[in-house]
Amino acid sequence: MSIKMGDNSISIDDVSFLQLSDSFFPTGLYATSNGLELLFYSKNKKLTYADIFDFITAYLIQQIGPTDCSIIGNVYDCIQKNDCLKLLELDSMYYYMRLIEETRSASTRSGIQLLRCISSFIDDNEIVNFYLQNIKDGCAKGVYPVSFALSCNAMNIKKERSGLMLMYGFTISIVGAALRLGILQHYDGQRIIHEIKPVILSNVIKNINRSSSNIWQFIPQLDIIQIHHEQMDSKMFIT
Amino acid sequence: MSLSRIPRIGIGGPVGSGKTMLIEQIVPILKNKGYDVGIISNDVVSKEDAERMRKNLATEKGLMSEDLVIGIATGGCPHTAVREDPSINISVVEEMEIKHPNLDLIIIESGGDNITTTFSPALADYFIYIIDVSSGDKYPRKRGLGIETCDLLVINKIDIAPYIGADLGIMERDAKHIRQDKPFVFVNSKTGQGVTETTNYIVRDLLFNALPKSKINI
Repeated sequence: MSIKMGDNSISIDDVSFLQLSDSFFPTGLYATSNGLELLFYSKNKKLTYADIFDFITAYLIQQIGPTDCSIIGNVYDCIQKNDCLKLLELDSMYYYMRLIEETRSASTRSGIQLLRCISSFIDDNEIVNFYLQNIKDGCAKGVYPVSFALSCNAMNIKKERSGLMLMYGFTISIVGAALRLGILQHYDGQRIIHEIKPVILSNVIKNINRSSSNIWQFIPQLDIIQIHHEQMDSKMFIT
Repeated sequence: MSLSRIPRIGIGGPVGSGKTMLIEQIVPILKNKGYDVGIISNDVVSKEDAERMRKNLATEKGLMSEDLVIGIATGGCPHTAVREDPSINISVVEEMEIKHPNLDLIIIESGGDNITTTFSPALADYFIYIIDVSSGDKYPRKRGLGIETCDLLVINKIDIAPYIGADLGIMERDAKHIRQDKPFVFVNSKTGQGVTETTNYIVRDLLFNALPKSKINI
């Protein structure tokens, strides 16, 4: 269903776009800080607005863009070409690119739950069912970006928009963690989201059509922070 | 993903109400009846409760293997993790079901929270809400979804009622009024008073008095 309003039209797909972008959608991302919690304590709880902005930006440019967003683009290509083997290859590639055990398990848990949620009301999408069956058979891991791209496609959301949603979702999960840790107040949180929009947009454009052989990530300092976070005795967040 | 769902209890209640100690009391009784149990413990900060139960129930008493006690940090949102977005807990439960299909029961402990805590039915089949006397005898009549809708209300730490001026008679009257036909139990987790009754409710109302899988498999 779609409605025309002058030169613009809106459709059910636009509502689906909002539905999957909403932090209310159950994927468990509220429990992840991607190492921010460790950084917060290692800096004696003195992180600033600029620190959070830089933290998110570094992730978007150095990891979420060239890896997660590129995986999304490649999953859409697989769907278009009906290339199921390539889909499984992307799943495996992403899984083994996650260097820290807790981030690997968080990604697969969120990914599987997302897909299962989607398949509870869209049960006739062949490639979603194929991927779920392979997860069940132990032939796929169920990583989040692959599951997310399949879910978006199942809800008729376009590739570029899926990339935006993933980058936006990552951003709000970090901002949410910063709010809960007391680093930011809610006005600042929304201001970061507003100011980081160009970073999100440019990195979707830069990475959504990247070939799978050119997927990369380089964020060693944050990897080390996540390794230390994994070993924290007392922590609020899973990652 | 699991082929068969193992019955699950959700245990919720405020911080310090005695959720962990209740589990430490009921697991030995269940084990004595032959039921094998797994535990998933949500904690707002740390995995201290999970580590304590692992040490107490697995390492020291040998009632379960150590990998059957799993801790989850919930990012400061204990109610979110068991109600609005239980996806992480469901994942961990399903991993446990696949790895240990012969379990009779999985207990999911919520992080300490407020009186509106409830469990998503997608996560837990049976819900115990625990409050304690130290918060005053007004607690049951203050209602809240946890107290009103749980399958079993546990009122813990009854031994300290005389010291804080709490009237158990008032709590009993209000619990009956609020919950009508639904059960509640007075418990002292330190001594074990009321714990057998609590366990009997679980066996009757969640497990439907089914034989433990270990006995069926023999």
